[in-house]
Amino acid sequence: MKNLYTYLFLIPVLLILSGCADEYLDEPPEYSIDSENFFNSEDDYDQALIAAYDLLAAVGYVTTITSEIASDNVEAGGESATDVIAWQEINTMAHTPVNDQLRNIWNWNYAGINRCNYIFEFQDKTDFEGRTQVLAETAFLRAYYYFQLVKFFGDLPMPLDKRVLFGEASELPRLPKAEVYTQIETDLTFAAANLNPIASQAGRATRGAALALLGKVHLYQDEFDDAATQLQTVINEGQYDLFGDITSLFLDQNENNIESVFEIQYSNAQGASFECLQCSEGNVMIGFSGIRGYSGPVYASGFSFNVPRQELVDDFEAGDLRFGATILDIDEWIIANPGPDDDPTTFVEGFDHTGYFNNKYLPRQGEADQPDVNLTYPNNIRQIRYADVLLMAAEALNRGSGDDAQALAYVNQVRARAGLSTITVSGNELTQAIYQERRVELAGEGHRFFDLVRTGNAAAEIDGFQVGKHEVFPIPLIEIQLGGDVWPQNANY
Amino acid sequence: MRKILLFCFLLMCPFGLFAQTVIKGKVTDDTGEELPGVNVVVKGTSNGTVTDIFGDYSLEVSDPSATLVFSFVGFVSQEIVIGSQSVVDVQLVTDVVSLQEVVVVGYGTTTEKELTASVSTIKSEDITKLNPSRIENVLQGQISGVQITSGSGSPGGGQNIRIRGINSNGDNRPLIILDGVRYGDDLSTIDPNNIESITVLKDASAAIYGVLGANGVVIVTTKSGKSTFKPELSFSGFYGIQETERTINLLNATEYALLTNEAFAAGGQSPIFTDIASLGEGTDWQDEVFETAPIQNYSLNYRGSTESTDYSAGVSYFSQEGIVGGSKSEFDRVNVNLNVGHQLFEKLKMRTNMNYISINRKTLTENVLGSVLFNAINIAPTEAIFDADGNFTTADNLGIEIINPLAQIANTFNDTQTQRLTGLVGLTYEIIEGLEVESSLNFNYADVFTRGFQPEISFGDSKVFNSEVSRVDQSQQNFISYNIDNIVRYSRTFDEVHDVSFTLGNSIYKTRGQSLFVSGRDIPNNTFDFADVRLANDFDEIRPGSSSFDVRQFSYFGRVEYNYESKYLFSGLIRSDETSIFAPGNQQGTFFSLSGGWVFSDESFFPSLDFFDFGKLRVSYGELGNDRVDAFGYISQLDGEAETVFDGDDLVFGRAIGRLPNPELQWETTKQFDVGLDLDFFEGKIGIVADYYVKTTEDLLIPSAPASGLTGIAAPGGRGPSINAGEVRNKGFEFSISYNDEVLKDLRVSANFNYARNDNETLQVNDEDLFLAFGSFGVGGDDDISRFQKGIPIGGYWGYTTNGIFQSAEEIASSAQAGSAQPGDIRFVDLNDDGIIDDEDRSFIGSPIPENIFGFTLGLNYKNFDFSTLWEAQTGHSFVRNYERTLPRVNRRDDAIERWTGPGTSNSFPRLTTGASNNNLFSDFFVEDGDYLRIRNIQLGYTLPTNVIEKIGASKIRIYTSVNNVFTFTDYEGFDPSANNGGPINGTNDQGFYPQARTYIFGFNLTF
Repeated sequence: MKNLYTYLFLIPVLLILSGCADEYLDEPPEYSIDSENFFNSEDDYDQALIAAYDLLAAVGYVTTITSEIASDNVEAGGESATDVIAWQEINTMAHTPVNDQLRNIWNWNYAGINRCNYIFEFQDKTDFEGRTQVLAETAFLRAYYYFQLVKFFGDLPMPLDKRVLFGEASELPRLPKAEVYTQIETDLTFAAANLNPIASQAGRATRGAALALLGKVHLYQDEFDDAATQLQTVINEGQYDLFGDITSLFLDQNENNIESVFEIQYSNAQGASFECLQCSEGNVMIGFSGIRGYSGPVYASGFSFNVPRQELVDDFEAGDLRFGATILDIDEWIIANPGPDDDPTTFVEGFDHTGYFNNKYLPRQGEADQPDVNLTYPNNIRQIRYADVLLMAAEALNRGSGDDAQALAYVNQVRARAGLSTITVSGNELTQAIYQERRVELAGEGHRFFDLVRTGNAAAEIDGFQVGKHEVFPIPLIEIQLGGDVWPQNANY
Repeated sequence: MRKILLFCFLLMCPFGLFAQTVIKGKVTDDTGEELPGVNVVVKGTSNGTVTDIFGDYSLEVSDPSATLVFSFVGFVSQEIVIGSQSVVDVQLVTDVVSLQEVVVVGYGTTTEKELTASVSTIKSEDITKLNPSRIENVLQGQISGVQITSGSGSPGGGQNIRIRGINSNGDNRPLIILDGVRYGDDLSTIDPNNIESITVLKDASAAIYGVLGANGVVIVTTKSGKSTFKPELSFSGFYGIQETERTINLLNATEYALLTNEAFAAGGQSPIFTDIASLGEGTDWQDEVFETAPIQNYSLNYRGSTESTDYSAGVSYFSQEGIVGGSKSEFDRVNVNLNVGHQLFEKLKMRTNMNYISINRKTLTENVLGSVLFNAINIAPTEAIFDADGNFTTADNLGIEIINPLAQIANTFNDTQTQRLTGLVGLTYEIIEGLEVESSLNFNYADVFTRGFQPEISFGDSKVFNSEVSRVDQSQQNFISYNIDNIVRYSRTFDEVHDVSFTLGNSIYKTRGQSLFVSGRDIPNNTFDFADVRLANDFDEIRPGSSSFDVRQFSYFGRVEYNYESKYLFSGLIRSDETSIFAPGNQQGTFFSLSGGWVFSDESFFPSLDFFDFGKLRVSYGELGNDRVDAFGYISQLDGEAETVFDGDDLVFGRAIGRLPNPELQWETTKQFDVGLDLDFFEGKIGIVADYYVKTTEDLLIPSAPASGLTGIAAPGGRGPSINAGEVRNKGFEFSISYNDEVLKDLRVSANFNYARNDNETLQVNDEDLFLAFGSFGVGGDDDISRFQKGIPIGGYWGYTTNGIFQSAEEIASSAQAGSAQPGDIRFVDLNDDGIIDDEDRSFIGSPIPENIFGFTLGLNYKNFDFSTLWEAQTGHSFVRNYERTLPRVNRRDDAIERWTGPGTSNSFPRLTTGASNNNLFSDFFVEDGDYLRIRNIQLGYTLPTNVIEKIGASKIRIYTSVNNVFTFTDYEGFDPSANNGGPINGTNDQGFYPQARTYIFGFNLTF
């Protein structure tokens, strides 16, 4: 009896001593896909590509509003002098390497690039029909993200075709921006050659988008002939046209219209929070640009950032249909829409109140209902419009080959849609006219700052702009440190 | 291992047979009261018995020259040579500080005298007198070297236990063992009134728990029937009223309006308030938000023992409402427990225990931007609570996060229901004398259901908490863990002077959890009553979620103890752990400790002193581990977020990488050295325990380490890798002195004072001269204010040093802030003297970790009255004052009255302005000392005289009244200077910690 009990007790002990421990511990995580064991089907590639598109929403809003604030178009606004201090500093060219909006721009673009590189890392693993289309879309996205980065920061560390693992960032030196541009051109050339002209779903990259972006990339390097070639290909292939009614072009219901060469898609289907702005599927810029404390018809309230300056308002010619589409004069709006006596239309003046709001991207009633509504407006960012393509082509022709006649035709096409008379100028006068046209046509869309920088006009137009410093923004200090302290800071920061 | 077991069998030698005589007797205490449950053992053998309910025993003894040993907890053991006697009556003397008292040390026990480790114990009587709602409250101020901070004073809110400082950049919670069960971290489930004792392993002796032990071990033993012989029914309870102990001094409406106008004028804007005279005091929002709330506890326990069985069964109910939010911040708990030990056969014992816990909890948002107290601090006192129509006011112009806190409470709906079952079945078999085998299975099972409802609501224009559609979020989670322990213990005394014992064992552990999350929108009637997904009308683009985990561990351990005449003591232990948390190849770790003790007072050369009873020197060293980090951190999984929009508004879903992997991830290792001294004076009336320790932790675990943006860490669903980096040292000194005596007739005094000093320093972060930074200050303001950086305490705050206020333009012109400041602005110190104030001028300006912890208890018993009090203090820690929303129209602390308004007016508080200034850069202006002294508890009790209660058949009736959190002496302006969110970094960033409640209690204890 005694021995029996002894053995009973020892059974588990002996079992365990016999070395089944390794097996017991060797339990992989359940219901989980290891990133090294993916890309086994077309579906896997599609899903990874969706992940690469994911960052567009975040990058699109933050680069647009930040570069708009950097320009002479708008004031930062907001609630007070310290509301989103990062934008307040950029607005007055007082920004430093400690700036969380610049860090967002840096991080979100690189996050997009990393997701593209993940696809390229496994590009040869599984073959299927349509693989080239997937890779071409991926190449377009990588070029898009790198173009944003090179515009903001200049020289860049440039990971390619492979994910950056923890601790590897320091192995990637900053490369001259010319090398980055070369890579962007390579990606876009591949994309343009292989992308479908018509997207299977609106929002996906197309051949036209790749060509237009390639043209823009050349324009940014003053490579006017190359730029003209690409941009005129877009024009001559005839897929796009100006949308007839400029006054409703930017309304939510007119998303993805004939003028849209590339559009960043947003949705109100899901809520979002300030904890993770890059997780929002809504257009965060819209809520931030909204009329503070607004109560009245049509519009909904917002945070009164990104408010147009008087000098932008003054730059519109009389009769320009684009004025109303671009600028909301809040005082005139209230006079026109006073509301009932017991519930009058009201708003609250924010910091640096100018009396104007960016009518292209304003919160409108009924467009969002998920909390936080300020972060979930669905209106798409018209990232590359045909009007921009025409104006870029005009500029490339005018500043390059000198085909001012064709350039003028493009400019007048844009002016006609705005209800303005044709102009007949040439040479430098035409150049200036194109710059002026770009300003009013594209106001509120985030192009102005980099147009001023690349044309050398920034110091003249932007208060506080120092030549040799403010052409690029500083790399966020914390990112230099996290990257192993190997990247030199941009000059004079 | 097998060979050792065989060796054990060989030791099974046959028992000799001798003639037997029966010895009988009665054991009483020094007052003549019969003592049941006293151990009576023939010295050097296992032959023994215990006294019955009348203190009587009888024992067969074979050898008349044998010695009987009578021992009982709390009494001095007596040894009596039998000789020719057949009746041996004994009167045991009370032992104030009993050296024979049993101390739990993990998979075994030892005695106070033979202990070589730094271990502290609290007994039941020191627990119940505090009316604790959680067991952490019990440790506070009662054990030196244990720091308790409050994560939240809300009902059911978490408290943090930290033993000897902060080791880890990850998880610093100690291991909790409850009745031998590895219990997990949710201590709100334990009923403190059912605890017999709590033992804390502070030094390297915790290495018996290997990779679980580096943060220290808290061993909780619940009440069993072992110590009572006759059945005992006890019923106790208390009812209390809680109120906030502290509020923050804010401006009233008139002051607020004047100062707001001043700020607007300084910012070049027109004033806001015109008729200031009519404003008066306005609304005191804190007064509106804080309320008095009830707390109550009732427990019923029945326990006893027979010769073969001991049992304890109990049920208790605890209920607490919040001092903020009342029933919206509520905690209810029911505990049912059963604890049975039974001698199945002569050599086979069984022990089982079972605890069932049911908890219901409701919470408000706490200690974040936009939480209830944050809003109560920031909302303008000029705002009324309700508008003319009786609706909540909307806090316009106060920023998007600041809403009417009463509207917020009224529209907060959630509840969490937890059902938990914890149990153990264990068998112990004595193979031969001194050699026993124990095998036990224990388990924890818990179900957690949560339900949160977001009504369709507007709190005002653009408020972040607005929702245009109602929504319900529900989750169902279950957790199961089990542990099988197999232990062989052997102990024997050779030649009467060599005590040898060893313990060998293994432990198999597995924990597993699964969760399901579902949500729905558009709830009928927009009420919580209908908030369930089955009634929701809209599920567009809401995906259900799920998660699961499975972590396993496999361990061997062994301990050898030897002592010579209980004078020279030695203990060595080793443990090998394998854990599935880490990658194959990194799974195994070996931990150990060695300790020795010398009872120098037993040496013959030591002078025999009247006043000096006992002295022991202890030394220990060992290596322990910590593996508290998410499993599978070595794999890169596709658990990130991948969502985008196509075709205008359609969400499409893909797959993306989540956490960055780190294949090298391993446990962190803590090396601890301890030297200690135990002294008893005046027959144990005074006891002193002192320890000095140096604890170095290497390869610190850092969960979600910051990483370069190039890695994609900032993508939706992206997270930093768990890494090992750095080295931290905690060194310190602990001292505890206790006094216990009957100073006058009928007046017994017991007192304890304890003090602990801990110095924490980061020795290195990793190979390069880097730092890791977390935390933020303000909104969109300074990030990375709390650092893990060489040369400063872990989590040290990093910011500008200030030096008063600029009084004039001339002062500014000659300073490093020329051009960027105006008179009335804060003057920052240009630490590197380069003529500009920039990032290089930031430095260490405060630590979240206290350097000194004090505790003091005093108990007085006079006749039928008893009085006790507990005071505790912590000093050397700092808080970040981050509960001010720095917007033009928010309220301010009343310090602003003493602001700078012109040259010479203030050198401590800057001018007010709505314009841009650098005054809100993170500087020591926002870092406050957290030093405090708190009267934690005062209790006065009265025990009814025996002749009164005997009439109703009771053996004891005591009534008492008590006040908890009586008062806190501190200069800290926030709600709670003992608060800490529990994180090693950024732990005292105060965004409005839920304060501790002052509680007035009336209670009773009945025993039948």
